Amino acid sequence: MTGMILRRLLQLPVILLVIYTITLTLSWAIPGNPLEKPEGRQPSPEVIEAMKRQYNLDSFPAFYWSYLSSATGIDYVGDTFSGQRERTREAAQAAGVAPPQDYVFDLGPSLQYNDWNVNEIIATSLPVSVVLGLTAIVIALIIGIGAGVIGAVKPNSFADLSTLIVALIGISMPSFVVGTVLLMLFAVVFPILPVGGWGTIGKIILPATTLSLPFAAYIARLTRMGMIDALSADYIRTARAKGLSEMKVLLKHALKNAFLPVLSYLGPATAYAMTGSFVIEKVFAIPGLGQHFVNGVLNKDLFLIMGVVLIFATMLVLFNLAVDVLYKWVDPRIS
Amino acid sequence: MLKLIAPFVILFAAIFAVIASDKPDPPADFTFINRGDVTTLDPQRMSWMQDLRVARLLFEPLVRLDVMTRDYEIVPGVAERWEVSEDFKEYTFHLREDAKWSNGEPVTAQQFVYAWRRALLPETAADYTALFQNIEGATEFFEWRSEQTRQYAVRARDMSADEKLVASQQLWEEALAYFDENVALKALDDRTLTMKLEASTPYWLDLCAFIVFAPVYEPLVSQYEQIDPDTGMVKLRLGWTKPPLLVGNGPFVLENWRFKRSLFLRANPEWWAKDTLDIDTIAIPSVEDANSQVLAFESGSVQWISDVNADYRIQMLADKRAFYDENREEYERLKAEGLDAFAIDAALPDDPRKNIHALAAFGTYWYNFNCLPTLADGRENPFHDARVRRAFAMCIDKQRICDDVMRIGNPVARNMFPPGAIAGYESPAGLKCISDATNEVEKQAIIDEAKALLGEAGYPDPAAMPRIELLFNTDGGHGIIAQQLAKDWEEFLGVRTFLAQKEIKVYKDDLKRHNFMTGRAGWFADYADPTTFLDLNRTGDGNNDRAYSSEVYDGLLDEAKIETDPEKRMKILQEAERLIMEEDLPLVPLFYYVNLYLFDPDEITGISLHPRLQQDIFNVDVIGDGKGREQVKQIWKKDAN
Repeated sequence: MTGMILRRLLQLPVILLVIYTITLTLSWAIPGNPLEKPEGRQPSPEVIEAMKRQYNLDSFPAFYWSYLSSATGIDYVGDTFSGQRERTREAAQAAGVAPPQDYVFDLGPSLQYNDWNVNEIIATSLPVSVVLGLTAIVIALIIGIGAGVIGAVKPNSFADLSTLIVALIGISMPSFVVGTVLLMLFAVVFPILPVGGWGTIGKIILPATTLSLPFAAYIARLTRMGMIDALSADYIRTARAKGLSEMKVLLKHALKNAFLPVLSYLGPATAYAMTGSFVIEKVFAIPGLGQHFVNGVLNKDLFLIMGVVLIFATMLVLFNLAVDVLYKWVDPRIS
Repeated sequence: MLKLIAPFVILFAAIFAVIASDKPDPPADFTFINRGDVTTLDPQRMSWMQDLRVARLLFEPLVRLDVMTRDYEIVPGVAERWEVSEDFKEYTFHLREDAKWSNGEPVTAQQFVYAWRRALLPETAADYTALFQNIEGATEFFEWRSEQTRQYAVRARDMSADEKLVASQQLWEEALAYFDENVALKALDDRTLTMKLEASTPYWLDLCAFIVFAPVYEPLVSQYEQIDPDTGMVKLRLGWTKPPLLVGNGPFVLENWRFKRSLFLRANPEWWAKDTLDIDTIAIPSVEDANSQVLAFESGSVQWISDVNADYRIQMLADKRAFYDENREEYERLKAEGLDAFAIDAALPDDPRKNIHALAAFGTYWYNFNCLPTLADGRENPFHDARVRRAFAMCIDKQRICDDVMRIGNPVARNMFPPGAIAGYESPAGLKCISDATNEVEKQAIIDEAKALLGEAGYPDPAAMPRIELLFNTDGGHGIIAQQLAKDWEEFLGVRTFLAQKEIKVYKDDLKRHNFMTGRAGWFADYADPTTFLDLNRTGDGNNDRAYSSEVYDGLLDEAKIETDPEKRMKILQEAERLIMEEDLPLVPLFYYVNLYLFDPDEITGISLHPRLQQDIFNVDVIGDGKGREQVKQIWKKDAN
């Protein structure tokens, strides 16, 4: 187990380097000038030239290496050993200017949001996306497993069919429709929840529910199939013959085995719930990270695209690793 | 089972820990949704309307425009009085003694020089550098500095790190000395600022009121500036625009700024006119989705939406028109009394439909024609010929675009900017178009005239012309306008058309590189002078995407520059506009913008309905909150007094 974790962690830098190279090449190829504004007043050509020189935007290899070394912390380590950081700090102190921002992994400035750098943007929006995604997955598990178990106990009954229909709707309705309808219902018609924003439990309920529906539907189907399989297995008959209560049979014996496919689905689902919330962030005015994927590309904000992609790639790898570890822990038969 | 549940318990605990650690802002006196997310609060670097609007709360320039007057009267800001030379070339400002920064320090004339010099450094990347270049010697400084750093970057390659440190510092001192010597902007003492302009500029006070001309607190900002030893340029570091660091001199101070989430402002106790404020706190939440904005308003959590974009706004406006019809008599009576549109809405019977307000805006939506002889890919460009441009401009049913496509009551445009928007300026008549025809005969006459023009230009058979390409960007409803336009040209002229829809960055890039035949564009005024629009068509202007170049036109603009008689000057500018709107047509205006506000006129007052759309939100009073004067503020009434 330790070997596997170590091996996977060692793969991480290689995976990230490949992702970095591919993403940067593609983003560089997007037509358009990142320093130009989509509307209105444009900086003069002299200004654009000066900015390009400052940010290395005039040469792909220069940008590739400079960004790689600052984002991976090579610059930080290098400056520490050469004493450059100490000298800069002293110089700043001597000149009476504010000490420079010091990030180990410096992801650069945002070209779109002039007053923010990518580290700050990620630091404020990543926790939001993580909390929203996890809450959605928890809701999806509660709804999905509940519906799945009900369906499996009485297959093809009315309850089973209605959960099937709800699941279908959950999968096929786009989230901007579900989100807006929920908003209309619970914020305007029955004003019990706030319209949007972030920061209180009440503000999470609607977006997390909207985000959870497709996952809940899928989990319900997985659970139902797993449960039907499990309920016809020999050990369940044994359990029933032992005289165990039906509740115990279902939840303790059948569900435990039926849950395994759900667990393996949870890895990618959680990662997806955290990244795939672009539309929901927009509808519910949530300051999450998902929107920067889309806006970053539209604005050709190179630093933002690279920062967000690198962070998510790291998270995805770590998440899959966590699920694999969890899997082994739950079911020691799996090697 | 415990094994299964344990991870989820940990997850729940983590989620609640994150939420519990988050402290929401307290409720504000006034909450509004801005046009978009604030990108920067550095006055010299901003150009987005949402940034400018917030900066007007945090900073105060030398003078202000009173947005509650019809002609945007100039009123004192940091300067309590000023002198203007007769030829509008020399300006002297006297700063008030009680002008203070939010930390209690006095605002000085030197800080204005510092801020304006920042705007004139190429490395600051200020979008409005050109406005500062009205000052004598400023253009030369800007070019000299660009060249100076360019040469330094080459020299620096062979220097050691220590040499670079010394040399870059020396470079900066040279730049400062050059600025002091050559740029006619001087602080005579702490409270006197004087400047000499390149040419006669009667609208200079209007520019000085523009928030990019606001001062910044030098002791703070200079801490975030550093000379980069490699490039010799001043490198601006981030951080100072965020609370609690930000020091301003405006009516409000920024208490909290959470990225993509909200800004929270509180009245500045050090502001010299703080007694005029009727609210203490302002919240600006970030809500991007157009429908969610309206829902937020309807649920009561937001009091003003400054740009209503939900698709059903058309229905909202139609409802409002019906509401006016129901109350026609009362409406006419209130109008006759001299009430402005917002005050009339407040006085009409209570009805949810009176919340929506349509404002004529000082901005124009148009289509560019590429004026170069060949297109970017080497093909011949039919629009190089002014006759072709004129023919195409005539064959547009602008009224139909306003009535059937836009449907929010945009006025048809025949000029580069709305007539009547600038005091003392009379717009030319403009070119006729299909929608001017009152019957089929007149319509056919216009079409025949256009076809004759095409014939003269060498296209007797329009169907044989190269395919006409219309460039526009996705989103924003531009596609449907382009379709209507293409349909008009196909129907009236019989040409073939092609709709080229691109992502915004690609579209912008195509415009810049003149890689288009015709393409959508638009412009809002920056200041109250025709040149805010007319300069766009000057040869070599950074925003001249059309590559239009006319010696006559440039000559007229130059002539206006040296003319010191304001009346004669306006006449010359009128002739320049006539030239491009009736003869040369580098662009064809389609309609003037309309902006929609959503607020309850019984609850909110102090929002201006002026077409320039500038708002001083510190004018706002929430009626019934027990704070402030609780009086309805009116734009036209104030003029009469």
